[in-house]
Amino acid sequence: MPEDPSTQPRPEHVTLFATCMVDQLAPGVGESTVEVLEYLGLEVDFLDDQTCCAQPAFNSGFRSEALPVARRFVELFEKVEGPIVVPSGSCAAMVRNYYRDLFRDDPDLVERARRVGDRLYEFTEFIDRFFGNDAITGRVNDTATYHKCCHLIRELGVDGPPLELLENVDGLEMRPLERADVCCGFGGAFSVKMADISSAILDEKLDNIEAAGVNTVIAADTGCIYQMQGGLRRRGSDVQVVHIAEILAKSISGPAQTGTRAR
Amino acid sequence: MKPETTQFRVKAAATLDNKTVLQSLEHVYTGFHEGRLTAAADTPNWEELRTKGKAIKDHTIAHLDYYLGLLADNVEKNGGHVFFAEDAAEAREHVVKLAHDRNVKTVIKSKSMVSEEMALADALIDAGIEAVETDLGEYIIQLAGETPYHLIAPAIHKSREDVAALLDDDFKNGDPVPGADELTMLARAKLRAVFERADMSVTGVNFAVAESGSIALVTNEGNGRMSTSVPRIHVAVMGMEKIVPSIQDLSTMLRILIRSATGQRITSYITMVNGPRKPDEEEGPEEFHLVIMNNGRDKLLADPQMRESLNCIRCGACLNACPVYRKVGGHAYGWVYPGPIGSVVSPVMTGLKDAHDLPNASSLCGACHEVCPVKINIPRMLLELRWRAAEGKSDSRERASSVKERMLWKSWRIGMMGRRRFDLGARISRWLLRPMSKRGWIKKAPPPLSGWTTTRDFPLAASKSLKQRLADRKKPGGTNRDRP
Amino acid sequence: MTDRAKFISGVTASLGHSEVQTPAPDLATAIFESDDDAKLKAAEALAVAGDRATDLIERMAEAAEATGWRVHRVSNPEDAAELIADICQGYGAKRVLRSTHDVLTDIPLDLAIRDTGASIDLTELTNQADTTEPSEREKAKNAAFSADVGITGVDYAIAETGTVVLHPRKGLSRLVSLAPPTHIAVLRPGEVLESLDELFAIERDDFLSGKLSGSMNLISGPSKTGDIEGTIVTGIHGPLEAHLVILGSS
Repeated sequence: MPEDPSTQPRPEHVTLFATCMVDQLAPGVGESTVEVLEYLGLEVDFLDDQTCCAQPAFNSGFRSEALPVARRFVELFEKVEGPIVVPSGSCAAMVRNYYRDLFRDDPDLVERARRVGDRLYEFTEFIDRFFGNDAITGRVNDTATYHKCCHLIRELGVDGPPLELLENVDGLEMRPLERADVCCGFGGAFSVKMADISSAILDEKLDNIEAAGVNTVIAADTGCIYQMQGGLRRRGSDVQVVHIAEILAKSISGPAQTGTRAR
Repeated sequence: MKPETTQFRVKAAATLDNKTVLQSLEHVYTGFHEGRLTAAADTPNWEELRTKGKAIKDHTIAHLDYYLGLLADNVEKNGGHVFFAEDAAEAREHVVKLAHDRNVKTVIKSKSMVSEEMALADALIDAGIEAVETDLGEYIIQLAGETPYHLIAPAIHKSREDVAALLDDDFKNGDPVPGADELTMLARAKLRAVFERADMSVTGVNFAVAESGSIALVTNEGNGRMSTSVPRIHVAVMGMEKIVPSIQDLSTMLRILIRSATGQRITSYITMVNGPRKPDEEEGPEEFHLVIMNNGRDKLLADPQMRESLNCIRCGACLNACPVYRKVGGHAYGWVYPGPIGSVVSPVMTGLKDAHDLPNASSLCGACHEVCPVKINIPRMLLELRWRAAEGKSDSRERASSVKERMLWKSWRIGMMGRRRFDLGARISRWLLRPMSKRGWIKKAPPPLSGWTTTRDFPLAASKSLKQRLADRKKPGGTNRDRP
Repeated sequence: MTDRAKFISGVTASLGHSEVQTPAPDLATAIFESDDDAKLKAAEALAVAGDRATDLIERMAEAAEATGWRVHRVSNPEDAAELIADICQGYGAKRVLRSTHDVLTDIPLDLAIRDTGASIDLTELTNQADTTEPSEREKAKNAAFSADVGITGVDYAIAETGTVVLHPRKGLSRLVSLAPPTHIAVLRPGEVLESLDELFAIERDDFLSGKLSGSMNLISGPSKTGDIEGTIVTGIHGPLEAHLVILGSS
């Protein structure tokens, strides 16, 4: 459990944990995250050597392969001080909730992982705790809906902050999403290994998205974003799925834009 | 019941294609799940009750041997008989023999998943004894020759048309069928005569109370009450974990069970059975038999990572919340217990290697954990089983991963152990896939990602990693966004 | 054939022990509550039932309606008997059975029913007869299955859930509230407990002593099922309709 921020002063400096997906597939999300954090007055560091938190291998059961990668993560991030911010609920949960399981034969490593985890925050969770959800007041003219990523709400208990952040964006009409807290069907390797089931769950999510009648879907985890965007594209839909960091970065970046954003 | 866990993918695929069943399955969400959400919201101390329920079960399971002894002592003190069955076959043979020895002609069965493990109804029928399921859902699937689809609503996958055709041949020809009300009255009429002539009943047990030797039956229909009132012999079958220590523990357990199962505050009936009828009672069974079954639960008990699954009170809330269950249905899970709890207990009780698809059939969304009345951490156990299936000892009956898969994750690990190779891997994949991409998206990816592109477009790796982009940003004349 | 000792020692081994260990007291479960504490709790529950009788009756009425009872309020015994007779007549009842609860003789029920032309029998059919005689039990069972209405009092009621608690009594006490398509329960103030907690606190000693008869039923409305397409249907194996007549406050 991260430390109680009310006992600490506002940080001036944070380290970004990009996640492997953002790093190589969606670097725009990473840049947006940096832009928002800098807007809040923070100096943002990026550790060049970072790769992955090892969640994909761990979730697939290949702990012997996950372990060295996760240990490398701890070794890397324990060298820096201060908060670590990650634009992903599932990766934050991996470090905070599951590293102790993965490292259970090595109590020393469990402790080192705990110390890293205690200062590791998901992006919206970080803003909420240290700056408040009204700290970002920008503008984006659009209609959007918010999908609740499973690990963010259930593993980390972060439910209110993302929606509150979005409420504070002028011009952004947020519409409710039916069954917003039901999974999109991603689940990592599950989306490939059991593609038919993953797609059936996705279909229901996409039906609900289309029923919401919006231009944009906002979510906080890149895996979910690709699951939904990939499926929407396949349906021939123009609806764009974006990361909440991207919307917030856009809102503070200058003249408001409407609707879709070419990838 | 013989496990068919190897058939998971095939049966799941069949359900995914069956629009009628998928429509029926929606009821577990719109009916049971939403009912449970409302009931929990209406209960001011809901979280406290869950914590209390978990504590009761944790304590009981940690001292299961002691409480089994106490339970048996008290059942016998009250004039009942206790039979300990190591496995389903023993339990089944004991009950069939009892029925035979007592000249039983008709057995009425009330809902019991344990009796499904025993495949009891069929065994009685084979022995020439009439055995009729009296819970409406169980009756429907007995007529259909099927096994239960859900823990508390066994026929949830059957449409009204299906049910009508099963209850009366007249409805088979496609004529408009009556509503649920009328169909229910039809079933009532058919079963009433059976109740009257029953000489033995077999029920399950929702909770067995150790300190008093009592069992609690939680029902809505009244067939449970018929079972404990009419026949001369009442047999109750239970998994050995279904104990609570004290009669006063029941108020907590009943509150969380019923709200979690159907969203009701209370069921129409809760029957406390304290043994056979007393000498001054003129009504009720003359004999009470409690069959306590193991059938592989000792494996869960002995396994520190899996022991928590024995806290389960069989409410079905995890099924109702599970997006996977709602798409694949109950039969896909291949044994008695479907859904998230089934994905945890079936592999351990019947064999992980054959059942390895079950713990893998999950997006790890955590909804099951969130709704469990006794806070069982199912996702953690699914991950544990995935580990054993992936990397368990090859001579054990656990490991199910292929050489190809193991090699895949080995190369993944190699690729993640250094930044340069991480970047190189991404660059190579982009170089390979770019020719088949359009504006950064791929319509048909090669293995191992081909499953993805059956239904979704897949993104191409970015031209520059975030590391590069942030480095560029620092250079004068900086950003380099959005290049497909 | 597995015997008990072998089975339990297997469980002990699964727990990683060599012998059964008596659990140390744990607040998690009520089994460690002292008899004195339990008796105090039970006494308090009964006291509350008396002190807050009026309030508890109101809450009971509300909860009972929510769970499907048809709730009626009458202020005196004569009105109660008449109301029940009307209900029976409404169903065209010819055969009525009743239990031996005191309240059913405290009101002029038998007379009121007979006045409608229906027969009313005590469920205690086998007063003199040998209760182990199969033919007597068969007769009693048939009486229950062919009755139109079953009437009982209550042993307790529970305001939290709208529940009526019935202990078995002499005669057909189990079937009288189960087999006929209509069940009428008569409730008086002072019989209502707050919640399930109070019920089990009060019943604890009887459960432990084995004094409690064969079975006890908690009844909350008519029988129901949701097994066809998840649609809740009222009325299946148990009574199709359940009436609660609250006597003594309106």
